[in-house]
Amino acid sequence: MDKMLSLDSVYFSYGEEDPVVLADLSLDIPAGKVTAILGPNGTGKTTMLHIMLGLLKPFQGGVTVAGKSHKDYSKRELSQLIGLVPQFESIPFNFSVIEYVLLGRSPYLNPFQLPGNLDLEITEKALKEAGISHLAEKPVTEISGGERQLVHISRVLTQQTKILLLDEPTAHLDLENQNRILSLLRRMAAQGVTTVITTHDPNAAIFAADHFVLMDQGDIAVEGELEKVITTENLSMIYRTPIRVEKTNGYTMVVMDKMEEHG
Amino acid sequence: MTKDKYNRFILLLGLGILVVFLVSVFIGRYPSPPGMLPGTLFEDRLARQLVLNLRLPRLLVAFLLGMILSAAGSVMQMIFRNPLVEPGFLGVSQGAAFGAAISILYFANHPLVIELSATFFGLLALGASYYLSTRIRYGGWVLRLILSGVAVSALFSAGVGVLKYMADPLTELPEITFWLLGGLYSVTWRDLLFVLPFALVGIVVVYVMRWRVNLLSLNDDTAFSLGASLTRERLILLITTVAAAAALISISGVISWVGLIVPHISRRIFGASAEKSIPAAMLLGGGFTMIADDLARTLLAGEIPLGILTSAIGAVLFIYLMISMSFKVRRDG
Repeated sequence: MDKMLSLDSVYFSYGEEDPVVLADLSLDIPAGKVTAILGPNGTGKTTMLHIMLGLLKPFQGGVTVAGKSHKDYSKRELSQLIGLVPQFESIPFNFSVIEYVLLGRSPYLNPFQLPGNLDLEITEKALKEAGISHLAEKPVTEISGGERQLVHISRVLTQQTKILLLDEPTAHLDLENQNRILSLLRRMAAQGVTTVITTHDPNAAIFAADHFVLMDQGDIAVEGELEKVITTENLSMIYRTPIRVEKTNGYTMVVMDKMEEHG
Repeated sequence: MTKDKYNRFILLLGLGILVVFLVSVFIGRYPSPPGMLPGTLFEDRLARQLVLNLRLPRLLVAFLLGMILSAAGSVMQMIFRNPLVEPGFLGVSQGAAFGAAISILYFANHPLVIELSATFFGLLALGASYYLSTRIRYGGWVLRLILSGVAVSALFSAGVGVLKYMADPLTELPEITFWLLGGLYSVTWRDLLFVLPFALVGIVVVYVMRWRVNLLSLNDDTAFSLGASLTRERLILLITTVAAAAALISISGVISWVGLIVPHISRRIFGASAEKSIPAAMLLGGGFTMIADDLARTLLAGEIPLGILTSAIGAVLFIYLMISMSFKVRRDG
């Protein structure tokens, strides 16, 4: 397996006296594939993405990107290599969609530079790729939730990175929009982009991912291909709730059973 | 707004400001309201001196003041992600007011000393707000600076209260009060030279970083992922604009509302992107303050403090903007 990004025995806590969020976590992210990270709330998925990005620094252990340590990259080089769509991104001012997506070109411009025609062309191409060219001049606050997520993804496509990190990209979206976004991620992977998504929805993960990582309490419980990771036992154990994994016509589906009532 | 349309608009705005500037040179109470004809300059030596020594530096300072307050207001509203922030927000206005008051009372009641003292305390308040924000152990960057700014402003405001209470009610108190109301009535070429370096640095830095301001207004994690050195870039913008604002406030006194309302108007006309809205806000702010100052010196027989006029006009515009704003329903999901 060609790896694009690796975490090596990473330990992390938010403060010296705070509890350890990630302990001795090692993980290889395969190149050109979609990796889905699943796990209960508060298990450290977002923290792990922030460590991959370089926003948070582990107090022990290291991160390797494309064969080089994080530390050997400048901030600008890293931003040309790794893009992020965070779980919550509020845009406080009424930028038009194209003005906002154009910001994805920042890693290629110094702080005193304005974007040029090439940047604009790349931005228009990203909007087309995401199927939202018709929204270019609309204010970002006046579009729907699904369209807004496509706008965020267009912004990260404009960044032209080899690695995409997406924190819960399909949360709060209806099925049509989930399909649009996950299919777009598949197309990006087909073009060689390494993608990491976190999700609470195993079915979304099955739809989009090639590689699966189940996290529990700040560590990796199990990782690998679909058949190995997405099993009734693994999911029931991690989520502490009855879950069945079923196969219909060769397609794997995760079904949640009702919990037994107590007392 | 397309680039061509924007450029045409900016050109028109620039021409409008030039007209306001030229008209402002000739309006006033000399030789009699509403002013003089251009020909008077060739005939009347006193008129020439009045224009050269009083009106020209005053107009230029009014223009710079409006530019800087609007630039600082735009930058602060964007990087604090809060449209209600204005340049006096990090304790700068109250710090400068304290500096002016303490100078009038204890150092020397001389314009240069008052200006230096006001600038010093304005910057001190900025530094104190920043330092305090680094000592707060909770909340994001914006919340910590907002809390620190409120606390530092309140401290200096209390200090001004104490100084006013101790001031001689017949001599010093009116002086302090008049300074606090804000005005450009005593501006000279020396004042202009004093503020010019601060103002130029502020204007140039904001202008060249105007597109970057958009990036700095995003969530911290997004801006970081796009290669921004958040703390460093935000500090460069804040320090240069607020230092320029402190220098100008030191000669104008407290001029409120320009830095709050002009960025709103500019975003409304030119769109949210700082690339377009900041240069436009600087021009609008400069023009607005020149017109307000014209009114301040011509409306009544005595001068109306500029701060009162900018507050009155600013508040009316703000009410208009709030009422006329068309609220759009957000369709989430």
